[in-house]
Amino acid sequence: MKIVLPALGSVAAIALFAFSTTNQSAVAVERPAYDETFEQLELFADVLARVRSQYVVEVDDSALIEDAMNGMLQSLDPHSSYINAAAFREMRLDTKGEYGGLGMEVTMEDGFVKVISPIDDTPAKRAGILAGDFITEIEGKSLIGATLNEAVGQMRGKPGEPINITIIREGEDPLYIDIIREVIKRQTVKHEIKDGVGYIRIAQFNEKAANGLKDSIAALQQENGGKLPGLVLDLRGNPGGLLTQSVEVSSVFLNGGEVVSTRGRRSDDVNIYNAEKGQMAKDVPLIVLVDGASASASEIVAGAMQDKGRGLIVGMTTFGKGSVQDVIPLRGGRDGALKITTQRYYTPNGRSIQSSGITPDITISAIPDDGEERKRFSEASLPNAIENENEDQDDFEETTDETDVVEVKIDYPPEDFEISDDYQLQQAIALLKSGTYAEKLAEARG
Amino acid sequence: MKSESWTHTKWVALALAAALPLAAIAGEKKPEAIYDEMQVFSDVLALVQNNYVEDVNTADLIDNALNGALNSLDPHSSYVAPVQFTEQRKAVRREYGGLGIEIQSEGGLVKVNHAIEEGPAYGAGIRGGDLITAVDGVDIRGKTLEDAVSGMRGLKGEPVTVTVLSPGKTSRDVVVVRDTVRGRAIRHRVEQGVGYIQIETFNNDKLTDDTKRALADLNEQLGKLDKLIIDLRGNRGGLLTESVSISGLFLDGGEVLSARGRDASDNERYNAEAGELYPDTKIVILMSAGSASAAEIVAGALQDRGRGIVLGRRSFGKGSVQSVIPLGAEDGALRLTTQRYYTPSGQSIQGRGIMPDLLVSTLEDKGEIRKRFREDSLRNFLSNPDDSDYEEKYEDILFPDENFPEGEDFQLRKAVEVLKTSQYERILKAQDDRF
Repeated sequence: MKIVLPALGSVAAIALFAFSTTNQSAVAVERPAYDETFEQLELFADVLARVRSQYVVEVDDSALIEDAMNGMLQSLDPHSSYINAAAFREMRLDTKGEYGGLGMEVTMEDGFVKVISPIDDTPAKRAGILAGDFITEIEGKSLIGATLNEAVGQMRGKPGEPINITIIREGEDPLYIDIIREVIKRQTVKHEIKDGVGYIRIAQFNEKAANGLKDSIAALQQENGGKLPGLVLDLRGNPGGLLTQSVEVSSVFLNGGEVVSTRGRRSDDVNIYNAEKGQMAKDVPLIVLVDGASASASEIVAGAMQDKGRGLIVGMTTFGKGSVQDVIPLRGGRDGALKITTQRYYTPNGRSIQSSGITPDITISAIPDDGEERKRFSEASLPNAIENENEDQDDFEETTDETDVVEVKIDYPPEDFEISDDYQLQQAIALLKSGTYAEKLAEARG
Repeated sequence: MKSESWTHTKWVALALAAALPLAAIAGEKKPEAIYDEMQVFSDVLALVQNNYVEDVNTADLIDNALNGALNSLDPHSSYVAPVQFTEQRKAVRREYGGLGIEIQSEGGLVKVNHAIEEGPAYGAGIRGGDLITAVDGVDIRGKTLEDAVSGMRGLKGEPVTVTVLSPGKTSRDVVVVRDTVRGRAIRHRVEQGVGYIQIETFNNDKLTDDTKRALADLNEQLGKLDKLIIDLRGNRGGLLTESVSISGLFLDGGEVLSARGRDASDNERYNAEAGELYPDTKIVILMSAGSASAAEIVAGALQDRGRGIVLGRRSFGKGSVQSVIPLGAEDGALRLTTQRYYTPSGQSIQGRGIMPDLLVSTLEDKGEIRKRFREDSLRNFLSNPDDSDYEEKYEDILFPDENFPEGEDFQLRKAVEVLKTSQYERILKAQDDRF
């Protein structure tokens, strides 16, 4: 099962992803017969033995090994980790709605818990938590040094139970926020007619995403008398999910052809994913709204639409999560599972979006220009993020030469613009209604 | 072997690793369990080697695995890779090279604990309490202390640019020319007719000699040194041996501390030298939340033995001993917490610190209890065997009143007051009842 998780994939408050473990035989445990490996394992066992016999108090062996595996895997990249047996069981049972949470996606950065995005209609969103916020304390207890799983575990609890978290936001005093936990039910796909234009928001790429999209399009067409003069597909804040769903979603707008390919370390390790024929939303003018929190599966859709010239990408540069993780059960899941980055993915034109993200055709900011260059929190800002191998280091440095810098024109809302009025969406709708869509699309295609 | 002299960081020179460490493990209880777990680990390693999106370096993987495991035990246990190990040996010998600052990691930020007045950093305007956010333009926020230090170390005479954030100011770049700095650990003066010594660090093997000289000088200046303030505020500790010999200046033999491990056979006792220098001198020790380790040992010993009173705030609570266990020529070393410190009355310092006899706040606290960064602020700190309540209570803390002059040291003034009045005897009596 391929998953294209957002940064680190562990998601506070909700079980976001379904995992299937049917293809476990695909990855057999081969042991490379390197002497070095043996020596290193010996060193490891030696240290373990000393800890067991000499540490000041008795230690729990399995906890120790689990922490070792996480130390090892998290050093590879922010998305690889060990899932212990209990957590893996929980994942497979898909215990949705059983516990209360805050409703945000979090990752680990430099030892701090960082918010990727608060989810719509959740306590976190209502409490004003923003993407990029750091969570430093829970109930006054420091999270420094805590693993992501520990932090997420502490944020979960009984629905209705309050929790106090400390938020650090750049340039501001710490915020102490009281939040009541809720059962996080997330509507995957929402739709409505806005100013005569269809609007569909996909919150995440779970198994309901593609069918939800199809149902929404059918509903919108019906509401609008059988026709859709234009569609805004909102993928802002969408952290991704299942690769297959992103392919199916793309199929709604494409009539066959490549959506995405994934490539591993070995040259023969290539998978190409094609759109189905049929193209439900044929000829419907399409704008895909994205922002810095649109990641992985969202970026696959945006990248495919952009490369195929099927729609205009509007908003801000996306997150840049271009790697694929496999979840490999260990001894059938009795020993938990290994989540490991095995491939990168590429848009139909062969672009890797790892670190760089998808650059919109039309860049529009959600917030007014405050004179300061907004720092983009992206995959590239994660510690030990995998590099984009397309980027030649030398070329990269050359572009820092001032003459080479291409100024991206950003369309900012006016200074007194109410952020909740959603400038990006307003502009997208205006563009669809202005009659210049075809012209802009041709321009974007170059 | 256990009776060897040792410093704050103990060197356990164990023979080379047993040929088959797994067999050694298996000799203990639950052999099949640990085999199972080693099996999971080596499966995971093999899967990573075979399937990861890029080529991996096995030695790096194991490095990170070891640190993942050891850091989870407590914040002071870690794996020291071969290169770092050499660095650390240098640090233990205190070849003070660099900027002349003592730094600590606080909440992922590197904070200047103390800038030595003779050092180049002090000359460039860096002071205790400043935060260092970058070294030569490289952001060090969230980095380990080792990473931060290695960036600052370098050849004498070479400049380094550090980005400094002073409390309440905007950040600035400061160029400091590296120099060899020998820190002077002690300062003394007469304060309102009372002897005053400030020990900034125990990381100085001349400390006891310097202290003796300072005391003699005070004795001469005052005619008779009958009242003494020992200021250990912000002192992060240092050499265990110095804490024992400093305590010994004020005690006539007897226990200063014990270090106890998991087995009773690991217990070690440290005694004061017989013969007390100034047996009739009244002593007040000033302490803060930043006083740690060796500083807590001195305060704990003098308090427990009824030799002085402790004034200020509850100390840091670093009461654990790390052993550095070499793992063989190519394998680096293991830094492992093996013991806890106990004061003479049998109280463990770890996690709780030393509770002052008189809780006195500073002016900067502005009448609030203020949460301090201490050992127990660290997430996975090693706990104290005693789990009774040890928090400072607001109503017990003495705060300066509104009219207290700005820039004056309330705790120091209170210490002088205690020494000059009958409060001293009263508190000493109360202390006697406590232990």
